[in-house]
Amino acid sequence: MYFRSRLQLVWLLLTRTTFRHWQSKLGHYLLLLGIVSVGVGAFNGIRQASRAASANFGLFNQAVSGQSDFLIESPVQRLREQDLDRLGELSTDPDWHLIPVIEGSVTAVDEATDARKQLRLIGLDLLALGNLPTLAQESLKFSDEDDANWYDWVGSESEVWVGQKLADVLNVSVGDELSFLASGHLAKMKIRMILDDPNGNLPDDLVLADIPTAQSLLSRPGGLNRVEVVIDQIDRREDSKYLSNIENRLLKYIPANLRLSPTQNRAADRASMTAAFRLNLTILSLIAILVGAYLILQALDAAVVRRRAEIATLRSLGVDGSVLFFTYLLEAFVLGLLGSVVGVGVGQLLALGAVGMLADTVNALYFATSVEALDLTMVDVVVGIVLGLLFSMLAGWLPARDANQTPPAQVLARGDWSPGFTWLRNPKYGVGLLLLGGIFLLFPPYLMKSGSNMPVGGFIAAGCWILGAALLSGHVLVILAKWFRPFCMSPVARLACSRLQDGSSRHRLAVAGLVVAVSMVTGMFQMIDSFRGTIEEWFDVRFQADLYISESGVTGAGNINGIDPALLDELLKDSNIRYADVMRVCNAKPPMGVTVLAGVDIKHWSDEARQIWLKKPGSIKLVSGAEPALVSETFARRFGVLKGGVVELETPAGLQKISPFGIFCDYGNEFGMAAVSSDVWMKWTGFTRPINASLFLHDLSRLEETRDRLRIKYPGLDIRNERELRDVALGIFEQTFQATNALSLIGLAVAFAGLLLGLFSIFDESTQTWQTLKHLGFSTPQFIWAAGLEGAGIGLAAWVAGALTGLALGWLLVFVINVQSFGWTLLWTVPLESILWFGALLTGVGLLSGIVSSGYWNFRRR
Amino acid sequence: MKLFTSLLLFCGCACAAEWIEPPAFSSKGYRVPFPDYVPSFPHDHGAHREYGLEWWYWVGHLKTESGEKEYGFQSTVFRVAGDPNESNNSESNAFGSRQLFLAHSALSNLSTRQYLHSERVMREGWQARASMDTLGLQVAGISASIPPNGKSHTLITKYPGGGKLELELTPTKPLIRFGDRGLSRKGDGASSVSWYWTYTRLKAEGTLTQDGETEKVEGVAWMDHEISSSQLGQGLAGWDWTCMQLDDGTEVKAYRLRKDDGASDRWSAVYWIDQEGGLVQVYADQFTWEEEDDWTSPQTGLTYPTTVRITADHPQKGKQTYFLRPLIDNQEFTGNRADNAYWEGACEVIDSKNRVIGKAYLELAGYGGGLGARLN
Repeated sequence: MYFRSRLQLVWLLLTRTTFRHWQSKLGHYLLLLGIVSVGVGAFNGIRQASRAASANFGLFNQAVSGQSDFLIESPVQRLREQDLDRLGELSTDPDWHLIPVIEGSVTAVDEATDARKQLRLIGLDLLALGNLPTLAQESLKFSDEDDANWYDWVGSESEVWVGQKLADVLNVSVGDELSFLASGHLAKMKIRMILDDPNGNLPDDLVLADIPTAQSLLSRPGGLNRVEVVIDQIDRREDSKYLSNIENRLLKYIPANLRLSPTQNRAADRASMTAAFRLNLTILSLIAILVGAYLILQALDAAVVRRRAEIATLRSLGVDGSVLFFTYLLEAFVLGLLGSVVGVGVGQLLALGAVGMLADTVNALYFATSVEALDLTMVDVVVGIVLGLLFSMLAGWLPARDANQTPPAQVLARGDWSPGFTWLRNPKYGVGLLLLGGIFLLFPPYLMKSGSNMPVGGFIAAGCWILGAALLSGHVLVILAKWFRPFCMSPVARLACSRLQDGSSRHRLAVAGLVVAVSMVTGMFQMIDSFRGTIEEWFDVRFQADLYISESGVTGAGNINGIDPALLDELLKDSNIRYADVMRVCNAKPPMGVTVLAGVDIKHWSDEARQIWLKKPGSIKLVSGAEPALVSETFARRFGVLKGGVVELETPAGLQKISPFGIFCDYGNEFGMAAVSSDVWMKWTGFTRPINASLFLHDLSRLEETRDRLRIKYPGLDIRNERELRDVALGIFEQTFQATNALSLIGLAVAFAGLLLGLFSIFDESTQTWQTLKHLGFSTPQFIWAAGLEGAGIGLAAWVAGALTGLALGWLLVFVINVQSFGWTLLWTVPLESILWFGALLTGVGLLSGIVSSGYWNFRRR
Repeated sequence: MKLFTSLLLFCGCACAAEWIEPPAFSSKGYRVPFPDYVPSFPHDHGAHREYGLEWWYWVGHLKTESGEKEYGFQSTVFRVAGDPNESNNSESNAFGSRQLFLAHSALSNLSTRQYLHSERVMREGWQARASMDTLGLQVAGISASIPPNGKSHTLITKYPGGGKLELELTPTKPLIRFGDRGLSRKGDGASSVSWYWTYTRLKAEGTLTQDGETEKVEGVAWMDHEISSSQLGQGLAGWDWTCMQLDDGTEVKAYRLRKDDGASDRWSAVYWIDQEGGLVQVYADQFTWEEEDDWTSPQTGLTYPTTVRITADHPQKGKQTYFLRPLIDNQEFTGNRADNAYWEGACEVIDSKNRVIGKAYLELAGYGGGLGARLN
């Protein structure tokens, strides 16, 4: 009964007093709700978008053939038809279906061979697909014609099937011919049929062909990517005992050079491959909510101050402190709840905008993916709301406690007196956090399933430093104000300095909120700048050839087909080519995760090609019995061979040992690369297909002529000089940081909005001060200028504290997080000019925020 | 014995209906079986790729060594040629061929009344192969081969759930060539003929593995090998077919080719094979095929006349009545498409005095529609 009456009282206070305050400051609270919702939205949006962009299985054929249960793959993720013969016993069992798949990317082009759309060509045995239980149920037909001719398309050489979405995009219909580039060739394919896809499952870049057709179009005769296994009794998919029995039966006959794995593991593998990337984004997406929490803290604290007389009255009337405490906590809860609910919607909108960017990045850096439909799950809703509530309640806790503890007599006696948060004035918390961050730096990284490292200590250190800096930023404000004060001649400036030097809780919280955003943004931009600088340096040293050849239309890790070897052999006969450095790559299976195995001219690479060497060739002792290899820094760090040693890699030719004799810097991928001689590579993998070639010419004066001539002769090949290649690479680089930039800007925008809100609270809280000044002869413009200078001071202090923290974060990102996550060392670049401009911007925004908020406050007072 | 069989065949031909000379090629461009062809074995047990359609078909009744469990089995491999007028330039060995294969396998557990079946459609390549020189089939879960001694052949069939039937099949009678001048006619269309070669009684011995247990089985089987390029004549919707293996050591094969209106085509026939392999045949005007009872599939909704009475005038023995009753109702082969479903199952044969005189396999095809179009 007692508890119930107290609850009723809390509810009464909330509805009769709190919401009336909200009504009177509607704009203020709407902005606060907006900030919470953007904070929750940024987190949820990135969460949904990265899931949609990277968590698919990458098995695009499943839009046609349905879900598979197991995958049969080789360690290099390429198969040959001969491998199928070795699956003989498996191919006869009626309890499952084996689905061989070949896939590759092709580029649809117009008549002038300009790219229209990047397409994913999937080759399946369209005849055998008819055996699949799902396909039989859905009656996906590959022929419109009479039953008598149902198999007539078998053996057709260039006929393909597309879904309605792609037909609409390319404006093609049945019978039309489509020109495209693949593996260096320009070819045509005829649309046999537009697949009926009432549920819209077929991606808009999917082109389906019979296996021989796809092999022919991709110039990969006899080539396959994998074999998928679909159980016949699909209604038993949830029966783990049955699946385990099937797996055991499959394993009994799997040839030694092939691997069987449940398909669902692929999603986990892929998720772990992109885990570091997604974690970075998640942490970045927390900026906005973290800044938002500061703003809630600030707003509720301001509310407590504003309503102090009311609190005192209530206390005098017998309302005890705990009721007030819960009332304020409930206010934070309502703020959090409303903001989070709106935030879930905002997240959906942000995800729509971000998903394309993230898919591009995943495609460029990790693996071929396509955007899955954004799916707002109940978990997303719950996570978003819990996050918003958690931050709001945490932020509301202190003001609520403040309201509970303030003695009424003291408050009634002292008007707008505000003790503020003592912890904000005490530097030991901030210093403690900075030191704690330093300790976390000593933590080793966490080794993930994919073989990547998660720099957990680095991330916690970053968090500690940001929070520590935010706590200490109030002191920076006070010190700066103290320094500036002697230079302030006018009363307006002196007033602003004096108020800043007082360093009220509100001022300190306003600076702290900004510092969180500024430090993270400065740190991220610094890391991106360092990355860009390093890549440019790497290009200058590494890319010294005259021309570079690759497959046309291929822009990332997810789309590699390679060049038809016969075509490249023909091209290399050009009379002006002095030497060609031909590179072949494939994935290889180390003991953990995945890495890249390259076949190169190892003598050229070690003696002649320019590299940024971490360890020059010959400086590491080779282990006898192992194949000599040049390895990337990432590879060396991942497998602990910085000082030499042996790494075992699974290849189609069995387990092979490699021993590094040199380590080069490489920024191509985070999984590392080991380069062995081309002959050995071909022997191990059984493939000959090159991925690219760097050409050195006899007559450099004919460089452009040679390039143009080769371009005309080989329209399916991308032929660029060093400058053009650099532009493409930097384009990909910029693309990969699109989401990072966007998130940083969202965080900053929230922080600016928070500054405006914070300043408004500050002015609101200083009503008596302003009235006194007005009586003393202060004009409205003087008041507005003083407010502007106060805002500028907050911006400047936030910049100083944030930039210093940002520099430390930059160092942390470059030397700890990047090294541990990706295994590469970047040249630390401090973009001083940008940081200075950022300072000017922050001060300017502070000034403007001060003017705007004081002007609005003044307007409302009237 | 072969000579004797040929003579009997000739006698059969002499009393047959009108002769229609088949063309050399079908309208689709496949070769058409020609008359008076004398097959050479084991070569002709192999595939005949230039012909449009071909199948190898085994059915039989088995029981375990203890006699406690009884089974019926069906294993069929079909070969369907792709468009003969289009070349196939693909270099792919595993997928390039335009020859398609279908494997149908079914096992009727007569003791538990369970029916297992499986269907696969494959292109010639890594999952389907057929020798052109001898019986050498490997199509999905069915494989058949002739061991070096050549007297018997091996049939291995896999079933869902890890089951496997391995049989050694030894002919106890000579191979029969059905039809006039070696051509079995399936309709009035000139091309609607086949080479139809059968081992009407094979001694079956082997093992059956199910649920991890392997048991010895033995029994009697039947094997057809039929080659054609137009299996059904125009206007035919399907067929009802049976092979009976009677306890007296004789066999009866009967089929009616059903017209679109349900009537029997005149080329429907009944064949009697005596203990020595002698053959006597009559056509549609000398037998009746009456539907005594039917069964409706809960899965496809199709209704099959699974209990039938065949009454035929044997040229020497006079009127003969065979009442066929299924040993299990549900022996429907549903396949991947409902309109492809057919009923094929183990039956017992009962004479006019209500005595069980043998066992049979009954096939009821074309009740889902669309079969005629595919096999014309």
